[in-house]
Amino acid sequence: MTAPLLEMRDLSISFAGRDGPLHAVDGAGFTLGAGECLVIAGESGSGKSLLCRSILGIQPETATVSGHLAWKGQSLIGLDAARFRPLRGAAMAMIFQDPTAALNPLLTVGRQIGDVVRTHRRCTREEARARTIEVLGLAGLPEPEHRLSNYPSELSGGMRQRVAIALALSAGPELIIADEATTNLDVSIQAHVVALLRRLRRDLGVALIFVTHDLDLAAEVGGNLMVMYAGQPVETGEVGTVLADPIHPYTRGLLQSAPTLRSTRDTPLRPIPGQAPKPGSVGAGAPFRERCTVVVDGVCALRRPDWTEAGPGHLVACHRFARDGRRGLP
Amino acid sequence: MSLPVIEAVGIDKDFGARRGGAAHLALKGVTCRLHEGEILGLVGESGSGKTTLSRIMIGIEEPTAGEVRSDGRVIRTRADWRALRRHVQYVFQDPSTALCPTMRIGAALAEPLAIHAICPAAARPARVARMLEMVGLHPDLARRLPAQLSGGQRQRVNLARALMLEPRVLICDEIVSGLDVSVQAQVLALLVDLQRKLGLSIIFISHDLRVIRYLCDRIQVMLLGEVVEEGPAARIFDAPDHAYTRALLAAIPDRNRPRHADVA
Amino acid sequence: MTSTVAAPTRPGFLQRHEIGPALAAGVVLLAVIVTAALAAPVIAPADPNLPNLMVVRKPPSAEHWFGTDPVGRDLLSRILWGGQVSLVVAGVGMVGSLVIGTVMGMLRGFGPEWLRPVVDRAIDIQLAFPYVLLGIAITSAVRPSIPVLIVLMILAGWAGAARVVRAIALQERAKDYVKAAEIIGASRLRIAAFHVFPSTWPSLMVLAAMQMAAMIVFEATLSFLGMGVQPPTASWGGIMLDGKNYISSAWWLTLLPGLAIMLTSLSLVLIGDGLEARSERLRSREAAA
Repeated sequence: MTAPLLEMRDLSISFAGRDGPLHAVDGAGFTLGAGECLVIAGESGSGKSLLCRSILGIQPETATVSGHLAWKGQSLIGLDAARFRPLRGAAMAMIFQDPTAALNPLLTVGRQIGDVVRTHRRCTREEARARTIEVLGLAGLPEPEHRLSNYPSELSGGMRQRVAIALALSAGPELIIADEATTNLDVSIQAHVVALLRRLRRDLGVALIFVTHDLDLAAEVGGNLMVMYAGQPVETGEVGTVLADPIHPYTRGLLQSAPTLRSTRDTPLRPIPGQAPKPGSVGAGAPFRERCTVVVDGVCALRRPDWTEAGPGHLVACHRFARDGRRGLP
Repeated sequence: MSLPVIEAVGIDKDFGARRGGAAHLALKGVTCRLHEGEILGLVGESGSGKTTLSRIMIGIEEPTAGEVRSDGRVIRTRADWRALRRHVQYVFQDPSTALCPTMRIGAALAEPLAIHAICPAAARPARVARMLEMVGLHPDLARRLPAQLSGGQRQRVNLARALMLEPRVLICDEIVSGLDVSVQAQVLALLVDLQRKLGLSIIFISHDLRVIRYLCDRIQVMLLGEVVEEGPAARIFDAPDHAYTRALLAAIPDRNRPRHADVA
Repeated sequence: MTSTVAAPTRPGFLQRHEIGPALAAGVVLLAVIVTAALAAPVIAPADPNLPNLMVVRKPPSAEHWFGTDPVGRDLLSRILWGGQVSLVVAGVGMVGSLVIGTVMGMLRGFGPEWLRPVVDRAIDIQLAFPYVLLGIAITSAVRPSIPVLIVLMILAGWAGAARVVRAIALQERAKDYVKAAEIIGASRLRIAAFHVFPSTWPSLMVLAAMQMAAMIVFEATLSFLGMGVQPPTASWGGIMLDGKNYISSAWWLTLLPGLAIMLTSLSLVLIGDGLEARSERLRSREAAA
């Protein structure tokens, strides 16, 4: 068992609120080794994007991060910018949902990627060019040599995202964080990107954190799944196991409300009633209690659920399950 | 066999023609027919032309060739389009730009009633309240501005506005694409409910085949400006003809069909 | 678990409405100036038009706080009453130019195709035009008076407003909600008036302040050149004209009205800047929410 690359325990990210701190992320934790994958599933307000940004140290300045977060044993919380810089790009890279955040509109594609390559590795201009073409091809861009002189604005949305992916790959990171990176891509390109990420894990031992709201996509990506709601993890386990045997009412609700290739109007979707809570507004108690159909009176409103084991490696934070097992599930 | 409630026949759209530049054919000879009471899905990836086609069918985009007909009559003049829009309405994709940022929800919903003089001014607030309830929103929301609503609420308001004129046809352009899964489910359930209650005929555009499968009776698959396959939803999904359709279906993530056992 | 951070205090009035120090200072200063001018009938120590050849060109003293002008009129009274004239003329000119400019800008955005290049060229021409020269030309043909002055100010100012409104109109026209309004049957006039025009308010408010500042100076310039408010009616520029020949010997005759012009203009610019910064802050507050 190799030493983990990334370790997180009891991570909390909070903002100053009018009546006290608002916890946008509360008690998240996992370990990630080389070649392993963590899929974080959740919707808006679940804190998943904030969590990823805190790993790279790019969370908003008004956010306070506490808990334990370490990369190869070195704590990342409160790490100053000078020591973070060599990590970003070379050790850890992030792919955002919107590529315009990652791409400089005034520089050509070739120049941007070439800059990153040469920053992290001493090489000649030809070598940098070759490496640029290589990563552009890896990311699935057709005719990569012709893309070098393009500006981001000359490319379609899907191509821009692939350039952003190539940019993330160019310094050869050990950890890639993909935050809804394929959400705006066409399905065929999404499949290609997922296959690419899988190859990187298998062949190069790259660790992957994949954030998505699409549980079917989570199944494709594979690895361990962490379902988050209102900033708190509610269920974790191997992806296939959790999806085959979902326990937490939120996970079950998500699965029941997502259409599949076999659902039709005759088998109506069952949407989760109510609305996602604003970050930090759940307060004490089980985070999902306002929308849960199997709330335990008196308990869910007061205490946060502890982790209960549902199977080997499969943990759930749910009072109802802890009390009644699978019988009590919606 | 009754006439299609709305149809676009032989549509070409060339975006390059205007500036005399290279031809950019967004649509090539596309025909699309919607029959009464059905939900037709237009599915394709980016660049397929499905949004352009839908905009041509509501008249906010002009085709280079071809015509749009309703109940057999060709829609040509501005007056024709105005008449068409009394019973065909459109719902835009992005809820944050589809509503006027400075207009309160109640005013935005009352506006179609005012423009077409459907009922006296005193009766409008009641109608607005009823419509808000029909789309699952509290009537108090009428006093708010769009910025004060969530994405899902805004999309419901969009739907409500399109329904104020009691149209026969709704054209929905990627209306659930930007929404969270649970919100998407709510809006889809609402759409199904409204279709049943109001007897709507719907053209539903999406790139997400799973949503299309759930919602639609008939499907047209588009690729680079052409319709490559069309037919009943069940047939297309169970026995697709065209290679592109098959490729699309194969690329869709599916939790029950994990394809990659090599890496856990 | 006790809280170690003191609960933040409830934001005060200024903070809640995002009123920065510049905006607050500008409003206070303008309020003082406008109140003083409006109160001229009450607080002016003497009749602004009453000459007194016994106290010609006296420097500031206990009887005449601002001194007297070349025919012995009390300068403070003249500046107070003149303030009324200058503020009203500049105000009317500003409102007129904003109204015309808004109409033109909206016409450019939503009017018929053939009108678009016409409006664009008109804006270009107006912006390039030297207004003082136009003033000279017009007043050589027509007798200068306050209405002529106001027309001149509107001619000079409308294009600035038209440009701002045009930019907003074009930007909003491309958005989905305008197309959505078209689909529910709204006429272009309705879209321009009810959907797009409200979005111009924040920019128009900033423009109003800035234009007013410019108009104050413009009025003073023209009156100083003899093409504006005619004597004996006092206006700040006119008062400076009276003192033109005594700049070094009777400094108060030009400096004090000049100071009034400058302070009024400054307060308006502070308000304009403050409003602009405020809408930036409100917009980013909304975006973050």
